[in-house]
Amino acid sequence: MAQNLAALCIALVETHLGELSAQIFATLAEHGRLTIQTLVARSRIPSRRVRAGLANLLEGQLLLHFAADDGAPTYYSVNWRNAYNLARHANIVELVDDRYDERAGHMVGNILQLGHARIGDLADAYELAPGSKRDSGIDTTANGVTKPGMANGEAGIGAPSHAQAPSANEFHATLRALLRSGILVKVAPRSYMPSSDLQEQLEETVVLQFPDRKVSGTKKQAEFRAGMGALKRAWRDEDQYSDLHDSGSQGTFKRPGEQFQSSNKRVKLNGASSGLDAVTGGQEVPKLSSDLIVRVDFTRCTLALRNRRLQQLAKNFLGGVAAEVYGALLQVLEGKERGVCDALPDDEDEDEGNISPVANISEIAEILDPTIDLSITIKDAASRKRMPNGTGKHLKTEHGDEDDDAALLGIKPEAQSDSENESSANGYTAHRDRANRLKLIEKHLFLLEEHMHCFCQRARSHTQNSNEWQVNFPALTSTLAVTELDRTIRSRYGQIPLRIVRMLREKGKLDEKIVASDAMMRIKDVRAILTDLQFRGILEAQELPKDNNRQPSRTLYFWYFDIERVQSLFLQQTYKAMTRTLQRIPVERERFRTAIDKAERSDIKGREEQKLDAVDKQRLREWREVEERLLAQVARMDDMVAILRDFSGWDTSLAT
Amino acid sequence: MASLAKLSDESEKLYTALLAAAHESEEGLKKVFFQPDLQSFAGESGRDVKELMPLVQELINHSLLRVSRLGGALCYSTRPRDAAKAITMLNGDEKLIYSHVEEAHSKGVWQRDIKKRTNINQTIVQKAMTKLENQRLIKSVRSVKNPAQKTYMLFHLVPSDDVTGGSFFDGGDLDESLIRELSNLIIFHVRMQSWSDTKPKKVKRALSPVIIDNGSTNGVPISPNSKKKRKRPATDDIEDAPRKHRRHDEDEVVEVVTQLAYPAYTRSYPSAEGIHQFITTTDAIRASKAEQLTVAEIQQVVDTLVWDDRLEKVGNGYRTVRGISFKPVDYGGSEQDSGDEGKGNGLTQAPCGSCPVLDLCSDDGPINAGSCTYWAKWIAGG
Repeated sequence: MAQNLAALCIALVETHLGELSAQIFATLAEHGRLTIQTLVARSRIPSRRVRAGLANLLEGQLLLHFAADDGAPTYYSVNWRNAYNLARHANIVELVDDRYDERAGHMVGNILQLGHARIGDLADAYELAPGSKRDSGIDTTANGVTKPGMANGEAGIGAPSHAQAPSANEFHATLRALLRSGILVKVAPRSYMPSSDLQEQLEETVVLQFPDRKVSGTKKQAEFRAGMGALKRAWRDEDQYSDLHDSGSQGTFKRPGEQFQSSNKRVKLNGASSGLDAVTGGQEVPKLSSDLIVRVDFTRCTLALRNRRLQQLAKNFLGGVAAEVYGALLQVLEGKERGVCDALPDDEDEDEGNISPVANISEIAEILDPTIDLSITIKDAASRKRMPNGTGKHLKTEHGDEDDDAALLGIKPEAQSDSENESSANGYTAHRDRANRLKLIEKHLFLLEEHMHCFCQRARSHTQNSNEWQVNFPALTSTLAVTELDRTIRSRYGQIPLRIVRMLREKGKLDEKIVASDAMMRIKDVRAILTDLQFRGILEAQELPKDNNRQPSRTLYFWYFDIERVQSLFLQQTYKAMTRTLQRIPVERERFRTAIDKAERSDIKGREEQKLDAVDKQRLREWREVEERLLAQVARMDDMVAILRDFSGWDTSLAT
Repeated sequence: MASLAKLSDESEKLYTALLAAAHESEEGLKKVFFQPDLQSFAGESGRDVKELMPLVQELINHSLLRVSRLGGALCYSTRPRDAAKAITMLNGDEKLIYSHVEEAHSKGVWQRDIKKRTNINQTIVQKAMTKLENQRLIKSVRSVKNPAQKTYMLFHLVPSDDVTGGSFFDGGDLDESLIRELSNLIIFHVRMQSWSDTKPKKVKRALSPVIIDNGSTNGVPISPNSKKKRKRPATDDIEDAPRKHRRHDEDEVVEVVTQLAYPAYTRSYPSAEGIHQFITTTDAIRASKAEQLTVAEIQQVVDTLVWDDRLEKVGNGYRTVRGISFKPVDYGGSEQDSGDEGKGNGLTQAPCGSCPVLDLCSDDGPINAGSCTYWAKWIAGG
């Protein structure tokens, strides 16, 4: 465990859970897995408090624990990934906000803060079920969720505002959509076990099937591996949420996927991809079992975040419209992917192996916002009289002769004269519009394919009219990482050093003379930049002495740029910067101490508006602003960590 | 050494033929001939190797032919007549030095290297050099790579690009303004062919309340992307209101478009050759300079433009990166139009990202999160 990351995780735990938890976490981080007794001894914290702290940490899924069998002592160890993920909360909430709505984001925020939650408790918190009033500890105000530990005067007070409180129907629909998309997953007891113990248990179970518990010979070993794989998959499937098994008893029962094939045909035509909206229209939603425990699946969120970054990258190069198409493609693919770092490869005979998922154009069309005019950013694409438009029948366009005006505005005038009945009756027009739209989508996809980053590829391109597209994610995630490195270098050192860095990346090791001539610069300028970059750890030079004396003057220096090294350098720097940002919060709090203390007094708390004077209110506002800025900065740096570390799925430094 | 017999007719004929052939070929005097070539040039008189040898020997004696070795085989190249005449007047050392300079051809050779290779005394080399220079047999040029060292080459040769540094060097110094102008010219040229210009258009999402009403009254959900379409329920949470509003507006206008992409795979974007063609035929650059410019040099400029994120490779050609125009850009780095591009990222925006003493920063050291002046400035900076 790198020192910087450890410091960061401890700072994160401290910000979120307080000093006691942080201390225990730090002890565990330093010593590895410990039992409670040794933990008490190492941390020098009274046993009672250690237990309380452990419970806190466990609730937040920041610890792993394992006991070999019932009588054996339980060992605790830290869960690095989840501890780091505390920094990602804000980004995930924003993502869900963006993709679904704020209600969903709010809900996810709550679950994130709790670590995991029972559906029943969640429902109670939202005051859905009139039944038992358990203290679930869910903070339903908007503030406390994403900004934990904030001395926010308004946070933590009052009942959930009614605008935020969803109906039972909406509540379950939202949760169901989130579960189906994989952002939420079912919690199983196994999620708390260290992976090595999990592996051991697996082996133990499988080996029992062999006589004498012996696995010898290649054939047996293959059998063993197959058995392991099968069991792993079985466990995984067991732990996975499915509409079928986890439905509650009440409510109408629907088979999985039925959401899509809703009896209402129009829903499908509109591309009810999320299911979330499809059900807000008043349909009865099957309720989830109250005993289902859910948590947020970070790998799934990482996937979604990655896709968002890719879309941004495409936007930079090809503009917003193409990026929207790309985003839709990515979202289709995302639904078909298992996860960035799925530890277990699928079996060959299961036939889902390493074939990357493909998306059909019509699937893309269903997800793509039908109101975006696709023709406008491609030259000559809009030449047709009747412009193709949304897949939705009622979004049909009537383009008269004022074609050009409309094109200038870039909006399809909604055909208000064209009543819905008419348009749906005119099946031919609708079909043609749809076909045109598909063609336009394809044009955008071709543009994306043509670009040097090769944002997507046509699957099975040898067949003439393949409608299926796929994305080479490994290549693109490294492109993302490299662009992030470039951006950092540019904003730190400027355009010219970036030019040199990119040249060296492309051409490999070069002597400074060649660097100068290829970069078209004076050699002494180049030399200064090279030395500076070397000092900063960006570039390195390989010495190649011309003779045995190894004199610097008789030595050639070949400069090169090691992507992996710089990537990890920046990653470590980001960790450190995040730690410092978090550590700055208490420092800043000190500055506003009097106002905060006053606001937190028991007689004032909850009635700040009346009890505080203008100066204190102003101070409080300033403090909130400062804290929010600091936390926002942490979230932005987390973006960078995600790019540099998580998107590729190769990094195993956080393996637990 | 002084008097050489007059060249025989056959030799004369062979020499003239070789000289003509050399001049015709692209390499000029550098053109080498192998024995079979000589035989064919010699025609009747050189049918047999035995007959050819004396002719060749005679020419060599007259310094009209130069012998060298290429790939293990002997080969010959011609010398101009007056040079040959001058050479015959030289003494042994001078001849040796001359042959070394000649070998270096348009790359040139350092005086020190000559001395090392010939093992001739420093003073003698210097004397010989001056003599050769005075006789206008060799000349000294200034090399870009080693401006301090004197580089010698034959008088009639034009220094190669290695020595002069190519078109972008003016008297051994980098011509930065030329490069800048050329870059702009290239971007201008490529830009015209990369994107189709248009009046600024706003690409909007059609946010029509009519449709939303329709949808909800009929009980039909409007769109899968709820956030883009659904009217949000009015909230009385004041803190959330402004943020939402802003996002809402952003949703409506996807972007403002001024450049239209050409459909993919329908267009051949200009390649380095095409750009070279344009540059050399346009009047923007002095004719003599334009003549000098090679495709490789243009490629070099194009490469730097690619590294600067101003051009991007598409297929075999190049197009400008979206949003790049041909206005003169000072390479400040923050010239990007597109949003946060160029403004850095989470790391570089935080004070730690550009902190010169980040490595010294530690929890219990003199530099820590509490004592940091950069943080104070950052927070005060609003």
